[in-house]
Amino acid sequence: MADRSKLGMEFPAYTMTVEESKIAEFAVAVGLKDDKAQIDPIYYDEEAAKKAGYQGIPVPPTFMTSFFFWTGEGLMGIVKALGIDLSKLLHSEEEYEYLGNIYAGDIITRKMKVVEMFERGKRDRIGRFVDVTVLETEIINQRGELVAKVRSTMMER
Amino acid sequence: MAITYDDVKIGDTIPTYTSAPITRTHLVRYAGASGDFNPLHHDESFIKMIGMDNVIAHGMLIMGITGEAITSWIDQRNLRSFNARFLSMTEPADLNDMEHTTGRATITISGKIVKKYEENGEKRIKCDIVAKDALGSRKLAGFFIAALP
Repeated sequence: MADRSKLGMEFPAYTMTVEESKIAEFAVAVGLKDDKAQIDPIYYDEEAAKKAGYQGIPVPPTFMTSFFFWTGEGLMGIVKALGIDLSKLLHSEEEYEYLGNIYAGDIITRKMKVVEMFERGKRDRIGRFVDVTVLETEIINQRGELVAKVRSTMMER
Repeated sequence: MAITYDDVKIGDTIPTYTSAPITRTHLVRYAGASGDFNPLHHDESFIKMIGMDNVIAHGMLIMGITGEAITSWIDQRNLRSFNARFLSMTEPADLNDMEHTTGRATITISGKIVKKYEENGEKRIKCDIVAKDALGSRKLAGFFIAALP
């Protein structure tokens, strides 16, 4: 089960560039498509994105979760830091607050913190109680603007 | 034409969106795109080790499909927040038994506008959303908030 002493812990800040080709790849994946010709061109064609009113190629609404996986040893980095058992881990809730836009080429810093750790259910009911960990992440761009907040809830079965 | 605040009223539904049947290939593609390489989503030997029957889709893939459903209705720059609670696991379709497994792997997103209000000088709507498979099992429930012109 997650190490309760990690409540309040702040992960190191990690920085990455939002790569243009990765945005199209992500849009193809969530569209369950085979090729980028099948997706909305705003995700790969800057002209199309500008015509649609964006300042650059935007990221799909759930793209920010990938910042957790591409920095700081990815999922295993988070699992190890919190003492979570990977074989029991389930993602139970995700929430985004969009405060600005993220475009291809932006340099993003993620600042993640453990904000809640608690047990849900009763220990005497086998299989019914779970350990819950809530992470909050601020996503900040190269101009220091807070562009999004992400709240991720994980549980261990 | 972009949807405007005056176009919608409380109780209206958003256009229903139905995905293709999710296959293991889609899971691998999503793993590579997102960086989420939890073996739960692709490695049958890990699945056996933890006593499950089948690999399951990333909850975030189902949320990503839900995001597609939303942005096929409104421009994504209008989104202000997006929440999903994951309710059940999704097993991909088996290519050697599509007849019996397509239903569990085909996701339909529906949504209903529950609130219209002004905040931060914007006209906003709150819309509850739910994703279900073709057998009726709920995969996620949540909401999004959007600012409309």
